[in-house]
Amino acid sequence: MNDTTELNLGRTFTTGIWEQNPVFRLLLGMCPTLAVTSAVKPALTMSLCVTFVLLCSNISVSLMRNLLKPHLRILMFTLMIATFVTIADLFLKAYAPDMSKALGPYVALIIVNCIIIGRAEACASKSNLFVSITDALGMSVGFTFALCILASVRELLGAGTIFGYPVLSGGWFTPWLAMSLPGGAFLTLGLLLGLINVITKRNK
Amino acid sequence: MRSIKHFIEQSWLLITAAFSCGLLLALTNAALGPRIQRIEIGEMYDMMKRLMPQANEFEKVIPQAEIAGNITDVYAAIDKEKQVLGFSFVGTGYGFADQIKLVIAVNTDCSKLLGFDILYSNETPGFGSRMTEDWFRQQFVDAPAGTLELIKSGQPDKEKDQILALSGATVTSTAVVNIFNNHIGMLRELLKEKGFIKD
Repeated sequence: MNDTTELNLGRTFTTGIWEQNPVFRLLLGMCPTLAVTSAVKPALTMSLCVTFVLLCSNISVSLMRNLLKPHLRILMFTLMIATFVTIADLFLKAYAPDMSKALGPYVALIIVNCIIIGRAEACASKSNLFVSITDALGMSVGFTFALCILASVRELLGAGTIFGYPVLSGGWFTPWLAMSLPGGAFLTLGLLLGLINVITKRNK
Repeated sequence: MRSIKHFIEQSWLLITAAFSCGLLLALTNAALGPRIQRIEIGEMYDMMKRLMPQANEFEKVIPQAEIAGNITDVYAAIDKEKQVLGFSFVGTGYGFADQIKLVIAVNTDCSKLLGFDILYSNETPGFGSRMTEDWFRQQFVDAPAGTLELIKSGQPDKEKDQILALSGATVTSTAVVNIFNNHIGMLRELLKEKGFIKD
């Protein structure tokens, strides 16, 4: 692999983390972003599931990209994605039943997460295996970063804990229940989006 | 012949992928299914033990019983002296967001409730999810196993089978009460039919 290819792969990877962060820049995957970020642990579990599905889906779509019929490609993408989501769901039920319960229907909803089908269409169906894998990893890291930031803020202010460990304790802090509810999720996400827009403008 | 050839040309990849995905899922299910089932049974056993702590073992007395349109196994709680302490089963109903599955325990003649635990629920956090709170669940302990009545305010009268609803979660509270009302009567009839309780 030459330097140019390595540079392109590096660029592909980092694009998904910041410049084209799926949550903060592309505004995709809003449903799990808002639903499972009341605490860091479920947010991290959701990120791992999405990473697995995105990686497997990008690999399989990239491997069959030259055989795909244009009018059947969305069907193929959905078939692949649904299969990997079901496998992820079964693994969660078998090895992390508490997290499976905490995430509830949102694991199955990864099937309709626009990040996954979006990357299959925009990248994996047009790129070789290395680029597809790198793109999947970059987007997954970006998604994980976004969910963890959001979940940290919500859990800290909503319960005074991070990852279940007490941080704001001692009687002086009263948890804001609203941060654990959907309203708090929208508020936190909106403020974070505003902050990221400010940072992006300043960097330009 | 040409149309069959055209069909195969267009769809061979889809059909192959569908079979492969099906096979992959079947293999995954075969590998993980037994573990998942053990976990579910283990959870249910833990809940039954919490509801009837004097029980030494639980024996499946009525497998695949149909109660209120749901299929469930009925377990008898047996103590060290091999005496039956009560019965337990899974009652299912629909709450605000999704299904609610409760592990319900009743006494030996199905005249009194011993309590319930939540096997599965997906109710709104901060509202319906509060059905796990002790004060709400405690209302069902030692309540008569008759038709429960949900009240929205005031002091519930246990002798009148009254249950105080969760504030802001009437739908969830109604769902829980309905699970009891729909299942207990039928359970009593089933236990009588099988000879576990006398008339």
